[in-house]
Amino acid sequence: MADIGKVRIRIPSSIKPGEVVQVRTLVIHPMERIERDREGRIIPKTYNYINKVIVTYLGKTIVTFDTTQSVSENPFFSFAFKATDPGPLRVEFLDTTGGRYEGAVDITFA
Amino acid sequence: MKIAVRASRTMTRRTMLGTLGVIALAAASGTLTPPRRAGAQPLGLNESLDEAMTRVFGSRSIKDGGSLIKLDIPLIAENGAVVPVSVRVDSPMTPTSYVKHIYVVADKNRIPVVTRVTLTPAAGQAFMGANIRLGETGDVRAIVEQSDGTLWQVKREVKVTVGGCGG
Repeated sequence: MADIGKVRIRIPSSIKPGEVVQVRTLVIHPMERIERDREGRIIPKTYNYINKVIVTYLGKTIVTFDTTQSVSENPFFSFAFKATDPGPLRVEFLDTTGGRYEGAVDITFA
Repeated sequence: MKIAVRASRTMTRRTMLGTLGVIALAAASGTLTPPRRAGAQPLGLNESLDEAMTRVFGSRSIKDGGSLIKLDIPLIAENGAVVPVSVRVDSPMTPTSYVKHIYVVADKNRIPVVTRVTLTPAAGQAFMGANIRLGETGDVRAIVEQSDGTLWQVKREVKVTVGGCGG
């Protein structure tokens, strides 16, 4: 997949200072499923899936997700944060193969 | 001669400090990140629900959080591979009292712990949403850990028409 690692972040079109904002974010990622043999034993290999999502706002970590294979392909996450000052909101995705995908939006007040 | 002695003494002290540091680090990482995450042992999470609950929460009691937690998940999931779930907790988010973790656990999944969300007071609201996989019909629970260590949970049965397997 050529699009792997593409990060999308959606924020409301207008944000007021001090408002608690809900953000939706998505990354294109296969989130490989565990494969099993006929007896149901797991085939050992390094499965490529996202196991950590880190959200930072104004340089401070506000939310982190620790995830497992039980999260869907092309995972979508939403979270809330309190918009206190204009500045960057960054979302970083880490996968088990060392991949690191990052997206950022600038929070501005209308 | 004297210099040599002093040098060796410095070395000893330094090595000892180093050792102490390592111990401190180990202790810190042990307490701060309770369940060892997938990165190191990708298959270690294949376990039964009871094992998972014991591993993550130990023997701590979990209260019924029906009035506190709003778990939003479809009653019938046609496609188990993508099930939208969201959890909202009716709780203040102040530095002294806030929601520290939200866990999503799918009872029937072979990897029951779906995700653990770590929140800080800066989030302003205890809320999380994600798309998860469900292997088969079963309960999905949201477990909330507050900053003082109190645990609350709600669960809801979800009927799965086509399993999302793998999870």
